[in-house]
Amino acid sequence: MVERTPVLDAFAHLILIAGAALVCIPIYFVFVTGTLTQQQVLQVPMPWVPGDQFMANVATAWQKADFGRLFLNSLVVSAGIVVGKIALSLLAAFAVTYFRFPFRMTAFWLIFVSLMLPIEVRIVPTYEAAANAALPWNAIVDALDLQGLARTITGRELTLTLDWSLVNTYSGLILPLIASATATFLFRQFFLTVPDELSDAARVDGARPMQFFWLILLPLSRSNIVAMAIILFLWSWNQYLWPLLVTTEKSMSTAVIGLRHLMPSADAAPSWHVLMSATLLTLAPPVVVVVVAQRWFIKGLIDSGK
Amino acid sequence: MQASTDASAWAGGAGRLRPTGPPRALPASSAESEQRGLKRSTFENRALAYLLLAPQMIVLLFFFFIPSFRALIQAFQLSDPFGGSTQWVGLDNLAALWRSAPYWAAVRATIVFTLALSVATLGVALLLAFAAHHVLRGQTLYKTFILVPYAVAPAIAGIVWAFLFNPAVGPIAHLLHSAGIAWDPNRFPGHAMTLVVLASAWKQVSYNFLFLLAGLLAVPRSILEAAAVDGAGPIRRFVSISLSMLTPTLFFLVVINFVYGFFDTFAVIDATTRGGPAGATTTMVYKVYQDGFVSLDLGSSAAQSIVLMVLALALTFVQFRFLEARVRYAV
Amino acid sequence: MLNLFRSCFFAALALLLIQPAQAATTIELWHAMSGALNERVDELADKFNKSQSEYVLKPVLKGGYDDVVNSMIAAYRARQHPPIVQVNERGFLTMLSSGAILPATELMEKAGHKINWSDFIAPVATYFTKDGVMMAMPFNSSTPILFYNADHFKAAGFDKPASTWPELEAQLYAISKKGVSKCAMVFPADWEWSFLENYSAIEDVPYATKRNGFDGVGAEYVFNKGRLVGHMERVKRFLDDGILELAGQGINPGQLFIAGRCSTVINSTAAHAAVEAGAKFNWNATFLPTEKDSPAKNSTIGGAALWTLKGHKDEVYKGVAAFYNFLGNVETQVWWHKATGYVPVTQAAYEAAKAQGYYKDKPTREIAVVQLARGTPSDNSKGFRLGNSAQANIAIKEEIQAGLLGQKPMQKAMDDAVGRGNEVLRQFEKVNAGKY
Repeated sequence: MVERTPVLDAFAHLILIAGAALVCIPIYFVFVTGTLTQQQVLQVPMPWVPGDQFMANVATAWQKADFGRLFLNSLVVSAGIVVGKIALSLLAAFAVTYFRFPFRMTAFWLIFVSLMLPIEVRIVPTYEAAANAALPWNAIVDALDLQGLARTITGRELTLTLDWSLVNTYSGLILPLIASATATFLFRQFFLTVPDELSDAARVDGARPMQFFWLILLPLSRSNIVAMAIILFLWSWNQYLWPLLVTTEKSMSTAVIGLRHLMPSADAAPSWHVLMSATLLTLAPPVVVVVVAQRWFIKGLIDSGK
Repeated sequence: MQASTDASAWAGGAGRLRPTGPPRALPASSAESEQRGLKRSTFENRALAYLLLAPQMIVLLFFFFIPSFRALIQAFQLSDPFGGSTQWVGLDNLAALWRSAPYWAAVRATIVFTLALSVATLGVALLLAFAAHHVLRGQTLYKTFILVPYAVAPAIAGIVWAFLFNPAVGPIAHLLHSAGIAWDPNRFPGHAMTLVVLASAWKQVSYNFLFLLAGLLAVPRSILEAAAVDGAGPIRRFVSISLSMLTPTLFFLVVINFVYGFFDTFAVIDATTRGGPAGATTTMVYKVYQDGFVSLDLGSSAAQSIVLMVLALALTFVQFRFLEARVRYAV
Repeated sequence: MLNLFRSCFFAALALLLIQPAQAATTIELWHAMSGALNERVDELADKFNKSQSEYVLKPVLKGGYDDVVNSMIAAYRARQHPPIVQVNERGFLTMLSSGAILPATELMEKAGHKINWSDFIAPVATYFTKDGVMMAMPFNSSTPILFYNADHFKAAGFDKPASTWPELEAQLYAISKKGVSKCAMVFPADWEWSFLENYSAIEDVPYATKRNGFDGVGAEYVFNKGRLVGHMERVKRFLDDGILELAGQGINPGQLFIAGRCSTVINSTAAHAAVEAGAKFNWNATFLPTEKDSPAKNSTIGGAALWTLKGHKDEVYKGVAAFYNFLGNVETQVWWHKATGYVPVTQAAYEAAKAQGYYKDKPTREIAVVQLARGTPSDNSKGFRLGNSAQANIAIKEEIQAGLLGQKPMQKAMDDAVGRGNEVLRQFEKVNAGKY
């Protein structure tokens, strides 16, 4: 940085080029496959040079999967998840690092435990929870026979059980995926590195905790928030199983589901070229997000690196 | 990830960081270590703390704890997937696991897989982060390329990697064959495991790279410049200064990589090797998925999930207790 | 940021409240046909919807077979399930023990449709019938046949593949030794279906006791005794000598054939579409090879059927019956057979296609039907009724693969496979005690 190190520079560039190449070889093949015809795709070995069917395949993929609507859904859902997760996690991490209260560590471990059970294992009960979000309330009503109680008190038949279905809705797509510990863990790590002098000074100045949070902690966390937002957006964008289960309307489906529906089944013509061009299509919005978000990334870091 | 900032704007001169001098060691007194993960200066408002925690806990309650309880309780039952008949069998499912040779094979596969994955991922990501931090030109371009794998759906990633290394048609397999290596993941368990580690690591390197770079960029230039003036070269500066300031990030990534290897990799394994050949790449989480989702053996799957969860919690606890002691949060 | 979240939330609420008005009764069908087949299912629904105005069939692609089953179970438990769901043939006992289904025969009777159940092709009928009642409506059925590269065979000096395994073996070795191709045969991904189950059916050897499970509780796998062991040892020989290639993941075995690399493949007849679209050489197909002294019984089916789930209104079931009726029409069957490559499930449909001269144009399409209808089905070729066979197959394949890869002797591998398979059967019986 201060001195000249041409050898190290060249070496670093080499590493980066090798890294980028290694990392992008699979993507390159996705691209090449997406430019071939059905015939060429079935040839073995596959050509290394791209064909000329890119736009045609992209058009086919777009039309077959009706990607316009699917992209919109994916965008809404991913944005919702990102916003929800980050907001909830910032607050929880703040509570767990800056406040002393009983069960503090228990709370942190409870949150952490949510990383340890993949959604596939609990998919059926989670679906039941989404199909009727009022299930716990209903269970309480049944267990305590509250309806019987209501009958005795008021003399009338009252239905106290609720039916709040989140199936085929944006909330159903977003809420169950908002529960997560990664962001809380990350922000906890970061908050622990924030110098104590800052909160000392804030308390001395008479600032309330939330003021400290808004005015000091959040701006400091900007680069971590951006990094986490990128990760979470990409993660949500690629969610398959939960959206598959909780939607039956084509109009509520997400982009990755549309992508998987194009996967050739064993008994039909293997249209890998359509699938791969659809993959590229589905890759485009996240990559755009990555590129755009990098600007805030750098900006945030320059500010805090003074 | 470090927060290192000139705090004078907020607090009238207090809190300016000292660029030189020994870093403040973590106190070893028992009173402080009881309050691990807690700032030295805390706020007094307990009610507010509960309020802040509430949203996350409520969402977790409805969409994680209750469903998980209902799923895991099946570990002690023999149930028909449709919910028609449920018999209590106590610890039978767990006992069956203990006796099951394929299950122990899965345990061994998981250990090998997760270790190899963590080392490969962190190693490569650290190298790339150092290089990306060092060069001045083309950073954005390199960063974008390196982040793209994380944007690829795991199922597709698996298929592409399986294709690239397919001994019959894969381009990279051809290269390996011409280099004299009898590459065949369909026959040799070791090759299959290598393939699966590669495919999983490929996706995770982006994640590690991003946070490592963020951490490196947050190291205060003043410290690095001072060290440069003192005669330390870039590599020396990286090893002595940046790395030690990266410890919170490194700890975060070690835990996250471990969780990833243990819990989030079955989609890639499924698409790459289907857990084969002959069960060689069937990790514990893959078996959970196979037994629960494909075979609808909910009791065994739930029992396996409990074992997996307990094991992971124990290992994470160990990581927190022993590794976190070495993490330097304060500078 | 908070605003975005708020607007998302309200948008969600709004979407919750918007319900399209419907005149006709909608009937949802959850299926697992992805890719090009998805379009065929949509076309089928279209045809049905255009043929009448009381019901609207709405097919929903819910992923692969596993995804569909799990979606169905989740939805059923939450009382949000569809009336029709496609489940693959090995899920028969699981569906039967669920207590959630309406048998197809009863459904059609109640709705007043007359179906000639005895017109269904024997292997199809026996697979889905219990106690004389057809439980599910057959939908997409197929059977494995042998596809071969005629050019390769000619170059090696043969007209066509021999009809017995030993002779075919000699041919394959010749093809390999003469350097005609690097890969004489490629192992299919669902080899338990073609190499284990169908082999035992055609050779008339038991796969499991109690007539392959048809006689009820207490069946045990017995494929580790007798011919099947020799057959798998043969496969191992092929593998070791480089005659047989494993495709692995990342490429369909069928693709290796279509690309002209592998000379033969034993694949589902439904693979015709891919072969016709992609093969640039002279290809042909023939019956599965048999042993020399084989009784050459019929092969068994693969694929899926449509199951009707309880819990809907009568109106809906009338519509389901109407759809099944439509599906069973000769016209629909012939169209489905031609468009997808699955076999026509009724004798009448087969005759109609023959009368139209379809098999003169495409003789290979007839092979599957003929092979399925060959001879009188014996106890060993009626199909399989073994609990949780999907789960058993994972274990069975794992063990036999270990044998094929030389990790243990083949007989031991088969014994271990049988052992693990029997564990699955016993567990299924424990869970579903007294249900069937």
